[in-house]
Amino acid sequence: MKNLREISTRLEIARKNIKKPQKKNNSSNAASIGKALKISTELVASVVVGSTIGFILDNGFDTKPLLTICFFFMGVAAGILNVFRSAKRMNKKF
Amino acid sequence: MALNPMHQFEVYKIGPEINLGGLNLSFTNASLFMTISSILILSLLFFGTKKKLLVPSKIQLITEMSYTFVAKMINETAGSSAKSFFPFIFTLFMFVLFCNMVGMLPYSFTVTSHIIITFILAAIVFVGVTVIGFVKHGLKYLELFVPKGVPVVLLPLIIVIEIISYLSRPVSLSVRLFANMMAGHTMLKVFGGFVISLGLLGGWLPLGFSVALTGLEILVAFLQAYVFAILTCIYLNDALNLHH
Repeated sequence: MKNLREISTRLEIARKNIKKPQKKNNSSNAASIGKALKISTELVASVVVGSTIGFILDNGFDTKPLLTICFFFMGVAAGILNVFRSAKRMNKKF
Repeated sequence: MALNPMHQFEVYKIGPEINLGGLNLSFTNASLFMTISSILILSLLFFGTKKKLLVPSKIQLITEMSYTFVAKMINETAGSSAKSFFPFIFTLFMFVLFCNMVGMLPYSFTVTSHIIITFILAAIVFVGVTVIGFVKHGLKYLELFVPKGVPVVLLPLIIVIEIISYLSRPVSLSVRLFANMMAGHTMLKVFGGFVISLGLLGGWLPLGFSVALTGLEILVAFLQAYVFAILTCIYLNDALNLHH
C-alpha cells in the first residue's frame, strides 16, 4: 500500500510538471507584442503603396483623382489580404 | 534645445567634409554609431569563438546562443533549403539588434530611427529575394501573383492587388522598425523632459514612467530585430518554395 501511495504522489508531481511549461508558452507576452506590431504596419503599408502607385499613374495619364481612388481601394484590399495571410501563418505554427 | 525631443535624431558630420562627384560622403554621427555596432558584433564573435571551451564562458555562451537562435529561426520558418542564406540573415539580425541596443545607451544615437537606413536594409532584402526567386524558378516566379482557384473574370483585379501586396513588403518592413524606434526614443525624451521641468516636487511620476519605458524600449529593440529577421526568412521561404 505504501508503495502505491508513493507512486500516486509521484505521478501527481510529474503531471504538474508537465502542465507548467505549457502555461509558459501560452503567455509569452513578447511574441504577442511582436505579432501585433507586425500586423498593424502591414495593413497601413499596403494602403500607402497602393495610393502612391495610383498617384504616380494619375500624373502619367492625366486622370487626376480617378486612379488614386481606385488604387487606394485596391491597397486596402491588399492590406486586408496581407493581414489575413499573416494571421493564417500564425495559426499554422501552433 | 535640450528639451526638444527631436533633437536627438539630428545627423551632423564629424571631421572634414568629403565630396565625391557631387555626393556628400562625410563621416557623420550615424556612420560612427554604425561602425561602433559593427565593431561590437565583430569583437563579440571574435572573442566568443577564440577559446572554444567545452564548458562555455559567458561570452562564448552569448555567441553560441545567438548562432542557435538564428539557425533555429531559419529552420523553422524557411526550411532547410534556406540554410545557405544563414550568413546574410545572421548579419542582418545582429546589425539591427546592435544598432537598436547601442541606441539605448545614454548620449548615443539610434541609427535605426532614420527611415533611409531601415529602408535601404529592407530594399536589399526585397531586391535580393526577388532576384533569388527569379533565378530559382525563372518566369514561373510570376505565378506568385496568380493565386490558384480564382475565376478568370476576377484575375485582372486580383493580380493588381497581389502586386500591391508584394510591393508593400519593403515599406512595411522598414516603416515598422523606423517608427517603433523613433516613437520610443521620442517618448523617452519627452518623459525625461517632464522630469526636469516638473522639478523635485512633481518629477517622480514621469521618472518612474521613463524607467518603465526604458525596459519596454529594450524589449522593443530586441523584438524589432527579431521581427525583421523572421520576416526576411518568410519572404525567402516564399521565393525558395513556390506555393501559396
